[in-house]
Amino acid sequence: MSDGLIIDQLKRNQILDLLKEGKRVDGREFDESRQLTIDLNVIPKAEGSARARLGDTEVVAGVKIQPERPFPDTGDKGMLICTAEILPIAHPSAETGPPTPDVVELARVTDRGIRESGMLDMKQLVLEKDKSVIGIFCDNAVTDHDGNLFDACSYASTAAINSCKIPKYEMQDDAPVKVEDQFTEPPVTTLPVSVTMAKIGEYILVDPTIDEWSIMDARITITTNSDGNVVALQKGGHDGFTAEELIKCSEMSIKAGAKIREIIKQTK
Amino acid sequence: MSSERKRHVIPGEVITSGPYRAEQNTVQVGENIVSTIVGLSDVHDGSVRVIPLTGGYVPKDDDLVIGKIVSHSSLSWTADINSCYVGMLPASDVFGRDYSSSSDDMTAKLAKGDLIAARIVNFDKTRDPLITISGRELGKIDSGELVKISPNKVPRLIGKRGSMIQMIESSTNSQVTIGQNGLLVVSSDDPNGLLKAIQAIELIEEQAHVANLTDQVKEMLESKSE
Repeated sequence: MSDGLIIDQLKRNQILDLLKEGKRVDGREFDESRQLTIDLNVIPKAEGSARARLGDTEVVAGVKIQPERPFPDTGDKGMLICTAEILPIAHPSAETGPPTPDVVELARVTDRGIRESGMLDMKQLVLEKDKSVIGIFCDNAVTDHDGNLFDACSYASTAAINSCKIPKYEMQDDAPVKVEDQFTEPPVTTLPVSVTMAKIGEYILVDPTIDEWSIMDARITITTNSDGNVVALQKGGHDGFTAEELIKCSEMSIKAGAKIREIIKQTK
Repeated sequence: MSSERKRHVIPGEVITSGPYRAEQNTVQVGENIVSTIVGLSDVHDGSVRVIPLTGGYVPKDDDLVIGKIVSHSSLSWTADINSCYVGMLPASDVFGRDYSSSSDDMTAKLAKGDLIAARIVNFDKTRDPLITISGRELGKIDSGELVKISPNKVPRLIGKRGSMIQMIESSTNSQVTIGQNGLLVVSSDDPNGLLKAIQAIELIEEQAHVANLTDQVKEMLESKSE
């Protein structure tokens, strides 16, 4: 991802000088996310899809749904798997080939936010206990990279899952059979929204751009649910956060997340 | 000799046929002269060439380029020069002949992310270009604003005998260091002048293919400079 990116010294100084004056290079407030737009159903063949644009970062998420054999320990729950990929068109630094550790982290953080929030009531996705459940696979493809892929993937996935249509399956002779032209709504219980913050020196910035991302000392991604509770958290970078900073970050994530949640809600 | 009007061409397009010399970015196929790139055809004095509209930067000897240091080994720095080739800056170029990898600290002189104005010393497409920062107007860049434009539009930005860039510099009180690789550093004591100069450069980048660009830029520079 952008962790290995080298930013030129002039830009770095410019960002740091502006931060001291309480400003950001693109004129945003410290706790302000970039403009988010979401288009739904951009992939006709998928059961659900969304394109999220967060500033100049763009992610396309597609949801495929099919019956699966459940994992042995969770026979009474459906299956949810989120993946992520950075396409070579997204950024000059992105290459094809096996995922780098950053991309693995991206997929896991996206997955965890949705999973741990309990966005879907997985118990409703069981066709027959221990035999067959509905599997929901949400694949994220980053098509434009301008920093903060965590949040862009989270918003695209949440919007895609929230708007998907689950085909109806019936068990016949111990095997699931699709019932043509019958769909159900996904059992959505809450809308998880992740907010990533970068720490540069003593400043904490919500939704860093790629330039801010490449000079940050540490980052934290906090996912909140519709009730404003923290449900997942990921910290990265070599620096740390003090206890006060963590409290401040969680408050910022709840505040910024509420605005984002409204946008996701409205696009359904 | 007569010269035909410039025309937009695409690769494979026949520009003209007849007793012409096929020059830059064209090939002769039988009688026809065919373009190899997307650009503007220029038939002039019995020769045909195509001025590119898109494409990357290919280093050329003696070009001034602006590079960003991306890494170093014990003997040289590697600079990103906005090309498919990376610039190699030997340590001896900075430390002199008696450079020793054990006693001299390379990062003290140039660290990752530093910008340099450099000149291409030697390049033959088989290996990465050798660059130097010793010379007038070369070396580390400490201040200014980095602007990136398409390398193909650099000649348009400079203008005939530097007319365009001089006009921008004088009317905005700024200095522009132009790298042939499409990277520019604009600096000015006056923040408004700096913004204006950058706007003018962006206008040229956008409108490089149209005629009477000079008048447009002039108008733009004068319009808000009360």
